[in-house]
Formats: sequence, C-alpha cells, structure tokens
Amino acid sequence: MRRSSQEAEAPEVDRRSKARTGRPVLHEVVHLDDLGHVYRRPPFGEYLRKLWGRRHFIRADARGRVISGSAGTVLGMLWLVLRPILDGAAYYTIFGIILNTQRGIPNFLGYLLIGVFLFRFTSRCLSAGASSLTSGRNLMKAFTFPRAALPVAVVTREAISFIPVLGVMMALILLLPPTEVITWRWALFPVILAMQFAFAFGLALVAARVTVHVPDLNQLISVLTRFWLYSSAVFFARERFESVPWLYEAMGYNPMFLVLDMSRDVLLYGVSPSVHSWVVLTAWTVVTSVGGMIFFWRGEERYGSL
Amino acid sequence: MDLYSHSWGQPDVTVAVKDIHVRYNVASSDAAAKMRRPERIGRRMIGRFPSVLVRAVAGVSLVARAGESIGLVGLNGSGKSTLLRIIAGLERPMRGSVFASSTPVLLGVNAALLPELSGAQNVHLGCLAMGMSPDEAREALPTIVELADIGGAIHLPMKTYSSGMAARLRFAIAMAMQPHILLIDEALSTGDAAFKDRSKARMDAMRKEAGTVFLVSHAAQTIEEECSRAIWLHKGRLVIDGTAEDVARRYRLYAWKLAKGQPEAAADLLAEAFGEGFDTTVHLIEPPGTGAPPRHANGAGSTTPELLKATFNQRR
Repeated sequence: MRRSSQEAEAPEVDRRSKARTGRPVLHEVVHLDDLGHVYRRPPFGEYLRKLWGRRHFIRADARGRVISGSAGTVLGMLWLVLRPILDGAAYYTIFGIILNTQRGIPNFLGYLLIGVFLFRFTSRCLSAGASSLTSGRNLMKAFTFPRAALPVAVVTREAISFIPVLGVMMALILLLPPTEVITWRWALFPVILAMQFAFAFGLALVAARVTVHVPDLNQLISVLTRFWLYSSAVFFARERFESVPWLYEAMGYNPMFLVLDMSRDVLLYGVSPSVHSWVVLTAWTVVTSVGGMIFFWRGEERYGSL
Repeated sequence: MDLYSHSWGQPDVTVAVKDIHVRYNVASSDAAAKMRRPERIGRRMIGRFPSVLVRAVAGVSLVARAGESIGLVGLNGSGKSTLLRIIAGLERPMRGSVFASSTPVLLGVNAALLPELSGAQNVHLGCLAMGMSPDEAREALPTIVELADIGGAIHLPMKTYSSGMAARLRFAIAMAMQPHILLIDEALSTGDAAFKDRSKARMDAMRKEAGTVFLVSHAAQTIEEECSRAIWLHKGRLVIDGTAEDVARRYRLYAWKLAKGQPEAAADLLAEAFGEGFDTTVHLIEPPGTGAPPRHANGAGSTTPELLKATFNQRR
C-alpha cells in the first residue's frame, strides 16, 4: 500500500537522484534506536562476553572433531598416542643413535620424549589454528557467532587429545630407565603447561587471521615449524650452538625452547628453572595470548568472505 | 514533493540497507582467452589468474518492515545471493551499511555442517552455535526433528543426506532459534510439496510475530505465492520494488521473452519496469547522544515531520 502507484507518480523528485536515474525517490527515514550494524564487530569486552556465551558450542565442536578426526582408521583414537611415540622413535634412531646427539645429555630418552611430545602440541595448535576458519566455513555461513570460537575450538580439541599423550609421556618417563624420582618440582610442571597452552592459543588466533589475508602462509607454516623444531633443542642440547654465540643467546628467548628446557628441569633433573626463563616465558605467554585475541578480533569482519 | 515514508503509522523497521556496493575480483577464463599463451602460463604459475572486476551489487537501498516477506527475483548472477549474504552480515560490502533489529539468519544451499557427524549431532551443534545452552539444545531437538521430518536419517552422518533432506534439517535448525529476520537463498526449492507447505506455514507464523522474511528465487511463481513484496535485481541494480504480484508478473514476462529468444522485447520490458520504479534513499537518524540511548515512551512517534525534514536538510 505504501508503495502504491500514486506515490510513484509524484511530480517532484530529488534533483541529485534525477541526474542519476531520473526516477522518483522514496525517502525512508530510519531511526537507529533499535537497529544495530549487522557486520560491524562488537567492542572487545562484548566480543569476549559473546565468546564466553558460546563455550558450550566450543566444547561440543572440539569434542566432535576429536572423534571424527580419527574416524576411518583401524586403530582409531589410539593414533593420538601412537603417532608421537613413533615420531619419538624415529628421532631417537636418527639423532640419538646415528648422529649421536645424545652425547652429554643425561637421560636422553626422557629429554627426547619431553621435546617431541610437548613441541608437537604447539605445532599442532599452530597448523590447526591456521586452517580453523577454512574448515569451519560451513558453520560460519550458517550461524552467527564470534568467529574466534573456531580457533578456540581447535585449540581445545588439541588440548583434549593431548591429555592421553601427556599421560603416556609421564608414564614413559617414570618407567623407562634411567627412572626419575618425583620431587616437589613436579608441581611446577602444570604451571609450565598452562603457559604453553596460553601461548599456543594466542599463536592459533594469529595464524587463523593471517592465513585469511595470505592463504599461501598455510604452505609455509609447516616449513617454519620445522625450523622452529630444530632451534628449540628438541633432540639435541642447546650447548651444540655454543660456537655461535648469538644463536645460543637467541635460543634463551625462544618460547618453545624455554617450555622444553623448564619442563626437563623440573621433571628430569630436579632443578628449579631460572628466574630469567620464568620471566621471558611469562612475557611471551601474556603478549601472545592477549595480543592474539585482539589481533583476531580486529579482523572479525573479514572472515565472512572466506 | 519527494516521496516520504515516515516511521509512524508503519510497522517497525527490521532491516535497513543503505546504498550497498559490492565488487569482486574474480578469475575469468574469458580474460584468460584474450591473453597470449606465455602470459597466461606465467600468471598461472604465480597463482594470479586473469581476473575481471565484477560489480555484484551497485547501489541498492531498501527498507524492510515487520510482517513483510520480500522476494528477490532476477537472472542468475544479478546479485540476489550476494545481497542476502550482505544483509546476513557474512560479507562486508565495499560501501554502504546494513542495520537490522536482530541477528538475521541465513539459510543457504550449502547444507552439510559437519558432514561426518549425524543429523542429530549437527542439530545439537547448530543450536549451541546459535547460543543455546546444552539443556535448551536438548529440549529443542524433538521440535527440530519433527519439523525436518526426515525419519531415521536423523541418526546417519550428514554427508549421506540428499540435498532436500539437508535443506529440511537446516531450515528446522534455523527456525528453532525463532529468528525475526530470516533470509532464504533458494534453500527450500529442493524440498518436496509436503515440506513446502509446512515451511510456508512456519514462515507465515514467524511473520505474524513481527518477523521479516527475504526469499531468493528465480522462479517468479514461488515469489508470487510466498511473498507480499518483491524486488527485481538486474546486474546488481534495483530495477523495481513493489507488490509481489506486480513485480513477479513483470519479471516472468521478461524471462519468458528471453527464453523465447527475443532479447529486444525483453530489454524493453526491463527498461519499462526500471522507468516505473523508484529509487530509495535511506536517511539514518542516530539516536541522540552516545552510549545507551534513552528510549522514549512512544518511540519514534515523538518526532514531528518538521523536525524530520530539518534533519534531512542538514544531512544533504
């Protein structure tokens, strides 16, 4: 009724518009009191609140993907544990025996186990975070939710599937000779793990947004991870780099090296990690997780065009 | 005198689309064909496929009100689906803005959510994604299953679903949230007759509760049957915005002429429709002050026409 023909025959029209199409102009006056922008990202605090509101979704999505991730294989969920063990065996053979990097490392087996198992968690978070938005494209097209729920869900998934891996790692450290005694310092290990988790969480958020801008990075990430693996002293001692002083120094600021080094200190060698390590790792953790969250939030409007 | 549409005496605005422009840079095999071979191969190597700038939507404005069901007609590639994605907030336009009274829910054709999971698990996940608590999601499940009516298939992985079954399930999930703004992109065209009737009943009920439905279809008949108002888009521009019968009739005649191989007659019809249409200019009036605006007891009705016009003149 509003758009009846008599309206369309109005004699006078908006002059500016006439220059464009020569058609009459319907002026619609819209009060924005009750209306909101559909694609503008909410303020950071509200964004976090909305994300918290989706925690059940994050948990369900993570759990669903843990199960479907190993569907179709004979051993199923067992692969969660088998894969890192086999990785460790391969590294042990190549580096420990053939290249003999174990020289000068007490309890090399434990050293390698911690390195391989813990590093694997971070690298998996990184690569899963990078592909979280593309793999969640269907969900994004169907439902409106803070997009950070997707990278958070993949990190949660990695954390869930890391639990049995962690159990196996602890069991192996305790069972394989030379066996270690449990000291009070073992209580520090969960703290280190929590920091690693927060760090990996921030990393996944950064990777998720960056690969939206430059999809090619998805290819590069596995290569960069390999460099990182070698420079984090996963299967040889940091002392190998003593001949290159700047590299040796730089390793002291590599967050993954710190995670591995500190974990070995408390689990294997019964030493308290240095204050320097704690400070640097805490800085990494805070900067990466908070910065990653803000960085991801600022790109919120771009993720729809995937 | 210009045409004014005042907000009083009219149902509340649910969606305001102001001057939306969308352009895509897309790979084009035509552009590739015009290129010499070495250049083509070189570009393929570095992943820069020859592309053209496609203007998907060029300056579309419209205002939708509670209780309206608006059909979008047009040829393939006229910008209908793009416009819906923009209204849904899934894509950011190059220029322009979209305001909505509540979160629009888009129902597209890409139906499988997590293909490995069963229909029921997808329902649960979808409900949680829309912000329900696990308990609410469990309560909603029977209603959703009943509306979707896909029988035992609800327990099978969603990758085994036919397109019609998946569309039914998606529709049922979307309705569970009782959205006020529903955007349907040909998703229902794959359903059978029984489902069409049921989905239409649900949409009508939704519109009665002050909701708005947008429906994309290139079948003019669907629009005529299910919508109160229709918009014809052509090459990203708004041709005519009017009653569903009128617009659908014009569009059907146009499409028929095209199909008959009479492009000139079709072009005449298009020009005629365009000439009889009007342009919409949306004037957005920000609530006074920043932060939470004080809500007047009688809402927008308290603004006088004089004040309104003054606001325009300032804005122009």
